[in-house]
Amino acid sequence: MNQRFIKNRHLLLTALMLTIAALLRAAPAAAEPYLAVLEGYKCNVCHVNPTGGGLRNQFGLTYAKVLLPAETLDNALDSWDGKLTDRLRVGGDLRADWTRVTAPNTASQQAFSLEQFRVYADLTLIPDRLGIYVDEQIAPNGSQNEEAYVRYGNPTDGFYVKGGQFYLPFGWRLQDQTAFVRQVSGINMTTPDKGVELGYEHAAWSAQFDVTNGAANATTGSGYQVTTQVGYTKPIWRVGIAGSSTQSSAGDRRMGGLFAGVKTGPIAWLAEGDIVHDDSIGRSLVAGLLEGDWRLLKGHNLKLTAEYSDPDRAVRNNQETRYSVVYEYTPLPFLQLRAGYRHYFGIPQNNQQHQQAILAELHGYF
Amino acid sequence: MNSRQSHRSLPFRSAAALCVLLVAACAGNGEGLDANGRPLVPGGSPTLPLSADFESIQENIFTPICSVCHVGGGAPEGLRLDAADSYSLLVGVPSTEVPSLLRVKPADPDNSYIIQKLEGHAAVGMQMPFGCPNTQPCLTTSTIAFIRQWITNGAPPAAPAAAAVNGALSVTSIVPDSMESVQGPPPQMMVAFNHELDVSQLATHSMHFEKLAAGATSTVVEQVAARIEVSSANLRALMIWPARPLTAGRYRLVIDAASSSRFSDIAGQTVALGTPDERGQAVISTFDVEVNP
Repeated sequence: MNQRFIKNRHLLLTALMLTIAALLRAAPAAAEPYLAVLEGYKCNVCHVNPTGGGLRNQFGLTYAKVLLPAETLDNALDSWDGKLTDRLRVGGDLRADWTRVTAPNTASQQAFSLEQFRVYADLTLIPDRLGIYVDEQIAPNGSQNEEAYVRYGNPTDGFYVKGGQFYLPFGWRLQDQTAFVRQVSGINMTTPDKGVELGYEHAAWSAQFDVTNGAANATTGSGYQVTTQVGYTKPIWRVGIAGSSTQSSAGDRRMGGLFAGVKTGPIAWLAEGDIVHDDSIGRSLVAGLLEGDWRLLKGHNLKLTAEYSDPDRAVRNNQETRYSVVYEYTPLPFLQLRAGYRHYFGIPQNNQQHQQAILAELHGYF
Repeated sequence: MNSRQSHRSLPFRSAAALCVLLVAACAGNGEGLDANGRPLVPGGSPTLPLSADFESIQENIFTPICSVCHVGGGAPEGLRLDAADSYSLLVGVPSTEVPSLLRVKPADPDNSYIIQKLEGHAAVGMQMPFGCPNTQPCLTTSTIAFIRQWITNGAPPAAPAAAAVNGALSVTSIVPDSMESVQGPPPQMMVAFNHELDVSQLATHSMHFEKLAAGATSTVVEQVAARIEVSSANLRALMIWPARPLTAGRYRLVIDAASSSRFSDIAGQTVALGTPDERGQAVISTFDVEVNP
């Protein structure tokens, strides 16, 4: 038994203990919710934001350094830990892409692009009671604030309140913001809203109640949006329900959603169904998602996604579907490579509803 | 089959179940629909080819691509790009991301925020259409050129609206309208017309807000002065700003008794605004402000 083997065993044991500790307290999230389903975690296990996404906490970063990548480095635990001081934690995500998009009767487009570079910071003013969180998109196209809020209370066990600008809780917080369920609901990680959130985290339960301006009211100064979500998480399954109502001079909008996850062996299954009724356009819309993530080996994930969208339930023959296959390889801590293929199907007379995309992505995170 | 074999076959059974569901979810065949997925109207006009006029841009770009997200009560930044709302929310309206820039500044495409967003060099936020170039194509330079040309031409409205211009002067919308409730003080009120207004006559008009007593329909407890203005970028919209933020309560926007209630367009046509109340004052809108600022 050599020194390196002993050190790797030590790292894995440390990670295992962290996992057990997190599960036992069933408290302290994930922009890749399949990981949460595979591990039986709630969002706040890995993320500072109790509703998931953004800055990783101490455990989330340790998971990303030790358990997620294919290769566990000898000095993984000594590498970046996110702390600038005891009270200030920072992190970020950078995604650079190459994509080729084709559609019938349309010239193909291919391009390298910087999808996003975001940085996060969390300042703890009073431990487990008071903090300030910021999520800022630095690029492309200049800086844009996504989240900035004051948090009072304990977001890992008990009640908390957030006030400021933040993402609304509604369904799975997917990495792909263009998923039908995220477009139809209009709630994703590019559409933060301003207001307050009352949250509750205890054991298997998570609940949020939000009162915000509502996107439709950005220019009118009228109306508001009420959003609520309740989730129940067990080690191999979870279920959640979400609802939202927007009062707007443009017309009211009501949404409901059910989402669930289950682990079968090395595969995490995610499902979500949303229904939206929008008075301003007089339509009811439906969207659905089914995703399977197969962890083939440590650091290797095969993601299969099937999506469905009906942009107007009163109109027949107008449904759209989308299928994706994406391979995710995480060779080292803080580095992920993704490659995939996506095909849209829709009405024959609309070329854009028959796009095909090939994508490759370099994802650096810290 | 032993338990180990059963465990191994589980992922395959699960994958098979997913495949079944994949096949079960089918896209629509498009029968009876136009290219935007809307029911065909008997005798309706066929899809217009893309050109530098608003109707064509709406039908080929805003409706099929932008209004997938920018529609209804959930429209990002409150910008609804469906056919009914897009023009009035684009032309001469400050953007919410960079308020110093108009979304569409007639005759000035370079300083129109929509062009910056479509070309990907806006100071804030992501290039539009959302997800381009990763999950859908960006608009091509030649496609954006049509929008640029429309703006360079002065961003005229679509043909149906142009037809309305030839009709009598009338009010097309009021925000907030009568009996609406608004959460928080509205920064301004807006009255939209189908014709361009004669701004030289604006000085002859004056308005104020009246706060009504709780439960009363006409007892005024407070008056708030108002400033009225017409943006040079959109001469069809009359903007009314309260002198100070409106606190919670029921309000009505009233034309001053000494002021004319008839507004004129540049052709000299006039229309009377508001409905006379018991004192003979013209009331344009009665609405509720629900919370204090």
